[in-house]
Amino acid sequence: MPQKIKLSELVDQIRGTLQQQFAGEVFWITSEITNVKPQDYNRPYRFITFIEKEGNATRAQINGVFWSSALHQIDEFERITKQSFVSGLELTCKVRVSFNNRYGLQLEVLEIDCSYALGKIELQRQQTIDRLVTENAATIKSVDGQFITFNNSLRLPDLIQRIALITAPNSDGQRDFNKEIQNNKHEYAFAVTEYLTQIQGDNAHLLILQQLKLIEQSKEQFDLVAIVRGGGSQTDFKPFDEYELCRYTAAFPIPILTGIGHDRNTSIVDLLCHQHKTPTKVATYIIDRNFSFEAELIDLKERFFDRVKSLMEEANSDLNDMKRLVKSLSPSAILNRGFAMITINDRIITDPAQIHEHDTIQTVLRNEIIHSTVTKKSPHERPDL
Amino acid sequence: MKDLTYNQAYSQLEALVIEIESDAIQLDTLADKVKQANALIQLCEAKLRTIEKEVNDAVNTKNKG
Repeated sequence: MPQKIKLSELVDQIRGTLQQQFAGEVFWITSEITNVKPQDYNRPYRFITFIEKEGNATRAQINGVFWSSALHQIDEFERITKQSFVSGLELTCKVRVSFNNRYGLQLEVLEIDCSYALGKIELQRQQTIDRLVTENAATIKSVDGQFITFNNSLRLPDLIQRIALITAPNSDGQRDFNKEIQNNKHEYAFAVTEYLTQIQGDNAHLLILQQLKLIEQSKEQFDLVAIVRGGGSQTDFKPFDEYELCRYTAAFPIPILTGIGHDRNTSIVDLLCHQHKTPTKVATYIIDRNFSFEAELIDLKERFFDRVKSLMEEANSDLNDMKRLVKSLSPSAILNRGFAMITINDRIITDPAQIHEHDTIQTVLRNEIIHSTVTKKSPHERPDL
Repeated sequence: MKDLTYNQAYSQLEALVIEIESDAIQLDTLADKVKQANALIQLCEAKLRTIEKEVNDAVNTKNKG
């Protein structure tokens, strides 16, 4: 009968050998990860699998673990790279070879290199942008680092009322946007039609695309499209950096306003449409735009009634001037000033040639009429008259 | 006038202002202009604060479907 040893003895031997071989050594590796499950907050560790493929064949595969002392590295990674820690990710990390009597051979992750992931995201993003500009010359132009697209060149209507809202059901973004719009202090009326969809995750870009296509079918019914989602460091840009979605938004026939919750960073869709950072900011922008047009209306109204008032005042004052003139020209006003009027048989004489010597004339003064006979006529040379 | 859009009503109001700001304005027509302007202003204000029926209809159809 062959000599037997206990399992724990064998496992101890394996562990001992490995420990001896790899004692104190750490390695930097870049590898795809898989079998990533959501964090179970009851367990202070997290298992993953490192995998290396060539085509469809798996060349290497080994279990990996984040013990509690390294778990914060995952949060850091998500916060810095704005990428979710999920299967399929390529990770550059520092590992130690370890052997656990219960879990076997594992690579223990000590540190994640975020700069590698960031560099890779940036590279992909740049490639997507380059492809968008090259393959969509009719709808996307890059000018001095800005993007002029068919969509962001569309003129927003002066009065915005009919909004197609793409957002996740029961999300903060949906709540924030609707609250701001419905409670606006100017009491502007809006009709918001919701197109609800998942807005994060692997398929999100396709789902958003689907909603856009639905909206396009009834494009006459909308003044603009708002795409919003709540903020938070865990959210990633991935859907909004996807080529197909970017291409579609750039050529979309209704202006698109984005509020996808990033204050510092910008997705490609943001670059191609109208970026307003947060759901609340999109809503505020819409309300303010209506307000600026109402302000113009109020200006116009004031201009109109100011002019009406001044026209009436002008007319009134012209009329008063006329009244004064008429009054000062009346015969009684003239007589009151000391002038006299000469009449013959009640006819006012304006031409001295009508008066002859021996005529009986009346000199009409303020209160009295003097009757007299003309004894002599002669010209006078008083230049002051 | 009811069928005017906000922009059309606004443009008409603008034209009225320009008209009465010119020197050729006839006082006889002023009362008429004031009436027109008031109607246009009311129309614009109403448009800002009410959703037209067709919009509501479109929204309702979508929500049912």
